[in-house]
Amino acid sequence: MNGDVFISIRQLRKTYIMGRVRVHALAGVDMDIPAGSFTVVMGPSGSGKSTLLYLLGGLERPTSGQILVDGRDLSVMDENALALYRRSTVGFVFQQFNLVSSMTALENVAFPMRFSGIRTGERLTRARALLTQVGLATHLKHRPTEMSGGQQQRVAIARALVHNPRLILADEPTGNLDTVTGYSIMQLLSELHQQGRTVMVVTHDPRMLRFATHTVYLLDGRVVSREEFEKASALPQEEKSAG
Amino acid sequence: MRFLDYLGLVFYNLGRRKGRVALTAIGVVIGTAAVVVLVALASGLQRNATRQFSQVGNLTLITVYPKYGEVMSQPVGGGGSGGSGQPQTKLLTPQAIAELSAIEGVAQVIPRDSLRGGARLVAGRMETYPFIMAYDTPDLSVFNFQMKEGVAELKRGEALVGEYLAKGFNDPRWRPGQPQPEQPEILGKQLKLVVQKFAQDGTMTERVYSVRIAGIIKQRMDETDYGMIMRMDDLTQMNEWLMGKRINRNKEGYDMLYVKTTDSKKTTEISKQINDLGYQAYSPMEFIQSANNFYTIIQIVFGGIGAIALLVAAIGIANTMTMAILERTREIGLMKAVGATNRDVMSIFLGEAGGIGLIGGVGGVALAWGLAQVINVLAASYLTNPVQFGGQPPGPAAYIEPWLPLFALVFSTLVGILSGLYPALRAATMVPVVALKYE
Ligand SMILES: Nc1ncnc2c1ncn2[C@@H]1O[C@H](COP(=O)(O)OP(=O)(O)OP(=O)(O)O)[C@@H](O)[C@H]1O
Ligand SMILES: [Mg+2]
Repeated sequence: MNGDVFISIRQLRKTYIMGRVRVHALAGVDMDIPAGSFTVVMGPSGSGKSTLLYLLGGLERPTSGQILVDGRDLSVMDENALALYRRSTVGFVFQQFNLVSSMTALENVAFPMRFSGIRTGERLTRARALLTQVGLATHLKHRPTEMSGGQQQRVAIARALVHNPRLILADEPTGNLDTVTGYSIMQLLSELHQQGRTVMVVTHDPRMLRFATHTVYLLDGRVVSREEFEKASALPQEEKSAG
Repeated sequence: MRFLDYLGLVFYNLGRRKGRVALTAIGVVIGTAAVVVLVALASGLQRNATRQFSQVGNLTLITVYPKYGEVMSQPVGGGGSGGSGQPQTKLLTPQAIAELSAIEGVAQVIPRDSLRGGARLVAGRMETYPFIMAYDTPDLSVFNFQMKEGVAELKRGEALVGEYLAKGFNDPRWRPGQPQPEQPEILGKQLKLVVQKFAQDGTMTERVYSVRIAGIIKQRMDETDYGMIMRMDDLTQMNEWLMGKRINRNKEGYDMLYVKTTDSKKTTEISKQINDLGYQAYSPMEFIQSANNFYTIIQIVFGGIGAIALLVAAIGIANTMTMAILERTREIGLMKAVGATNRDVMSIFLGEAGGIGLIGGVGGVALAWGLAQVINVLAASYLTNPVQFGGQPPGPAAYIEPWLPLFALVFSTLVGILSGLYPALRAATMVPVVALKYE
């Protein structure tokens, strides 16, 4: 699309305090992500990938630093503004799908629209259209337990799209899926990108890189270059954690 | 969130765990039923009491007694008897009658006098001791006497007697072991009235009058039940013999006045005015009002006892909601992730807690209604004394006033909402990520 900066992160820190131990999940991250990009975030376990996505999605607050999304500063928003931001700007896709088990696919997708005051008829129409878009037109009445992992993740993606968000954040969306199913989910995310959305995906799967316009490597809560990342990845575990 | 969507979601969530909601609601059912039944019992008591007073009936009557030698609390202007601040005696003289008649809203002032000595009413072997009084009015209809037998009219030498008096004759010569004597037929009969006069030295003289019983007055729950009503001229004649002199009403007054008002709504106000004039006035209205206050207190106390059961139920709701919030932590995280505000989450859980309260309230009102029917059937068969005195049968023992079910529903819902307050607040303020990661 265009090269305008959509996400701008400055000196972002997230520190968890566990008793006496301070865990620096993010230790001063800077990045600029253009609108309409497909960013793949890679990094070893514990490097802060999920933390980065949660902060971007307004699901928790940073310890310090600044996050601007579409020019608005998340760190100064109050609870209400943050809820509205999550509702209107972001669609979040989780590794564990997080569907409501008592609701059908259709109800799960329609669910978030209750909070934005959309009428029942309109909710169901939109939910049906989105489920059709993700290839589940025949599974509207299925409950999560009656669907495969891939199908559940498609429902979750359809749900993330109900408010037509400009930003899609997906935290290891293929993590619980087999490789073939995982690949089709990646293709679906890529389609969303091609429709003009800004997409950021955390993954361990290098095949995802083929869809990426941008790549971010995280190591111990910091953004590093590809070279540093590969050097660290090549090292045996013991030496890495010693460094 | 649209209100209907909100309600829909609340009841959808309640429907997801019917069993637990039902079990929790049972506590509320019992608590609400206890409140409603106990308050209904208090209402029943009150209504029965009030009914008996208004049966006696006359809410437009004020009884006025004289006041003897007291310092008046506030000086009274006008009214003929001056000397404010002086110890004042307010006798029920013709002048006082004129004063009271002049009060706005007073329809009639009827003097009453009573026999100033003892008297015995004799029917054959049987006798009884009536309280003898007379009203200075040609027309007794003001008192609205319900007649058991005979008519409420008096000619010279006639008397009306109260129902209990008519049934209360006894035989002074009767000894234990002998069969109970039968009550005499007295209606229309000429009976002997023996009036007794005691001189200074203690000697007693008797004089016998003859009275015809013109009527028997039904139970009224006042002094007429054991009384005998005669004409004022007959009574004055007996009193003058008793006192050995002519009675000067300007000096001695009457022993009581009945003030009849034009409107029962004015009764309390007029009664107060009469008190302010220095007399002692009482109206059944005041009595009913103070009785009402008493029964309101009983209702509150009974309701409070029931409310303790509701308190226990409230703990149950709080417990269920706390459990629900733990179980649904991830769902709460999800709701927030897809854009529910803290307020949305808060209202949903408060709504569910209130919903449990409401459901329990509906059940409780239904149960209470059923219980009230049972209580009333039982009370009617066990408590009604065979309507021997000709009074009306008592009203229902448990009476559910129309406002009570509504109040109970609102109250049980409020109890639910209050119990859900803390759990809902916890749910609303969860950090989305923490909730989503909850196992
Ligand atoms: N709530 C928390 N309390 C304490 N420490 C936390 C918390 N959440 C995350 N952390 C720590 O922050 C660091 C980054 O965690 P994060 O979940 O972002 O890693 P990740 O890169 O997503 O790892 P993975 O690939 O395993 O999902 C880890 O060391 C983790 O232990
Ligand atoms: Mg992670």
